[in-house]
Amino acid sequence: MESWRKVKVVVRKKIFFFILVGWVLLIIGDRVDELRVYQGAQIAMYTIALASIVLLTGYSGQVSLGNGAMMAVGGYSAALTLNNLQTPIWFSFLMAILVSALFGALLGAAAARLAGPYLAGTTLALAVGLPAIANQFSFLGGEPGLLFDVGFPPESFGEEFTQYKWFFWIASVIALLSLFITSNILQSRFGRTWRAIRGNSLAAELSGIHSSRMKVLAFTISAALAGLAGAVLAMTISLVAPGAYTLTLSFALVTGAVLAGISSLPGVVLGALILVAIPEIADALAGRLGDADKLNNYLPGLIVSVLLILSVIYTPNGPGENLRKHLRKKSAH
Amino acid sequence: MIRKTRRKRTWFVAALLASGSLFATALPANAETGVSSSEIKLGITLPLTGAASPGYNKIGNAMNAYFKYVNDNGGVYGRKITLVQKNDEYSPQLSIAKTNELILKDKVFALVGPLGTANFTAVHKSVGLARRGVPSLFLNTGFSGFASKKNYPTSFTILPSYAMEAKIVAQFLKENMAGKKLGLVYQNDEFGIDALGAFRAAGVKFDVTIPYTSGTQSATTAQTWVSQLAAGQAQVVVFFGVTSATAPLLAVAAAAKYAPQWILGSVGSDPLTLRALGVPVAVLNGALTPAGNPSPNDTSDEYVKQFQEINTKYNTGTAFDDYVLQGMNIGLMTVQALRAAGKNLTRKGLIRAMESKGSTFASVGYSPLGYSKTSNVGHTGYYMAVMDAAGDRKPYGGSVVLYTTDSGSGPVVKSTFKRPAMPAKGLPTNS
Repeated sequence: MESWRKVKVVVRKKIFFFILVGWVLLIIGDRVDELRVYQGAQIAMYTIALASIVLLTGYSGQVSLGNGAMMAVGGYSAALTLNNLQTPIWFSFLMAILVSALFGALLGAAAARLAGPYLAGTTLALAVGLPAIANQFSFLGGEPGLLFDVGFPPESFGEEFTQYKWFFWIASVIALLSLFITSNILQSRFGRTWRAIRGNSLAAELSGIHSSRMKVLAFTISAALAGLAGAVLAMTISLVAPGAYTLTLSFALVTGAVLAGISSLPGVVLGALILVAIPEIADALAGRLGDADKLNNYLPGLIVSVLLILSVIYTPNGPGENLRKHLRKKSAH
Repeated sequence: MIRKTRRKRTWFVAALLASGSLFATALPANAETGVSSSEIKLGITLPLTGAASPGYNKIGNAMNAYFKYVNDNGGVYGRKITLVQKNDEYSPQLSIAKTNELILKDKVFALVGPLGTANFTAVHKSVGLARRGVPSLFLNTGFSGFASKKNYPTSFTILPSYAMEAKIVAQFLKENMAGKKLGLVYQNDEFGIDALGAFRAAGVKFDVTIPYTSGTQSATTAQTWVSQLAAGQAQVVVFFGVTSATAPLLAVAAAAKYAPQWILGSVGSDPLTLRALGVPVAVLNGALTPAGNPSPNDTSDEYVKQFQEINTKYNTGTAFDDYVLQGMNIGLMTVQALRAAGKNLTRKGLIRAMESKGSTFASVGYSPLGYSKTSNVGHTGYYMAVMDAAGDRKPYGGSVVLYTTDSGSGPVVKSTFKRPAMPAKGLPTNS
């Protein structure tokens, strides 16, 4: 009874914290220009996508290079639902979660038999193949894709309330809710079980944990988060198309998660910031190198690759993780 | 307890970092976005790299060359034109991202000559060009949907619509190819479907119809197309696709010694680009195409002559072809539009000028311009041209027979319209 009361207090405090962050974001959204508001929506989208990797790789220890493909599943599910059934926006996001969770469960069932490079290879194949498959079917819109129009902001918000601010609000609310739910899951029995599996799968089995089932569950929840991020991405560009969910996106997500610290959920905000900042840095760099028009489409991919390689060489768990350990040691002294 | 406090602190740091970066810049206020006393900033998205880039990647530089020429001759009421080019690789989601950059970051005054039907449809919706009041001049696409003033109040096309083009080709087929077996290969997005609808409305029935998805064009897919066309014994093949699809189609057909009467849509029939993509010139010999402009090699044409001179000086090393001609012409029309909008340049003023004076602008195209308060469609007609063994283009039958029509159910009529003369030295003086 006493422990249940403690849990309630912790959850209440967490709810208060998330509401506070939401309120801060609301104020920020009103004070910055439209470009920053648009980038804010992108940060929210990446935050959800990176949370899916932290849950899968950081906690359950399964490496996936196919999160971009899961985002595509979510994006297309949301667009097909909205366009064909004319449902409310929230329902299309819900369908993105459900369909990608289903995909994740199927993939997870296969992935539970694989580990290490074999799992990475399988998910990589998915990241390469799935958007290409979408390209072949006319009901998925081919290369031009499908429009995903969540509509204008409510008139009561006033004329000054722009479309991008509307996207930012929706994306921020979804990101905060996703982080709230994910942090609760990770602090629950499931999170502890995943960590046990990650630490030593055999020892976990011996202590009564059904590791395969738990791995499938991790894949399912991670895919649901990735699918939701895919739907948010589709909303921010009003479109789902194979070109939006490329292999580059999958690699960028892995890089963002590694840089932020692969097992750090709060770090995903930092990782998302880095991912949104990279094209800006690339743009500035391309301007200095000359022929910016052609270069700045390829430089972000190059920067992501270099950052990932450097991170793997010098800080295998990511600089974010190292920084966290360093701060922990410092405070222990 | 200590651990929880530390976690909370990390959350706060993450949130503060997010806030800090978002606060980094603030929107400066100015009179009209992209216009200063000395500069007018314009933007374009186009494929500079990727499968669809051959040919189209020349348009931006050609426009820029013309703008430099105008800038060197005093600019537009003393303001120099700056053109910001963004590479969208012909991908709609990249077009959205790059147009966002143009509007929100580069803060351009207007878009000029953006390419691609699917691209502009996505951009218009996503970026909200109409709500922002951003003029989008001389769209390089013929999708008839863009003719809707209600849906696209700030956009103006330059090409006749694909529906117009198909109606004119349909008329030509009826007059000249009656009784022959017909084949159609088309890109199955708004571009090709627009044309397909017009063919159906005109009562043209194809014996073989092959749709293809944009981006899937390759030598392998072209093998399938040619096999289907040959199996259907198509004697006349109409093609509505981009040049990167025309090239493998003609190359594979030539290798298979399949030689129907080709009718290549205006979008995918630039001889220079076709040759650059490996199509034997002999295959082009006798191919027909609806054309709006004179041949880029026709130096007897005053527009072509002037543009070639500008290209030699300001676009050094670039072969003068249809794409360069089109780019320069968009430049010429843009300058006229900016001048027509007056010295006190505003976005609303530019749109008003397009509506009230756009139909009088000088343009290399032979057909009338349809701009008005109720129409945002540019050129309204085509003539049929035939390509020779060198890949050059000449009017079918020896002289230009201009057909004009609309995107709806209006008739196709032969026109005697005479286009306005090229402004002296290629420098507009209109107001």
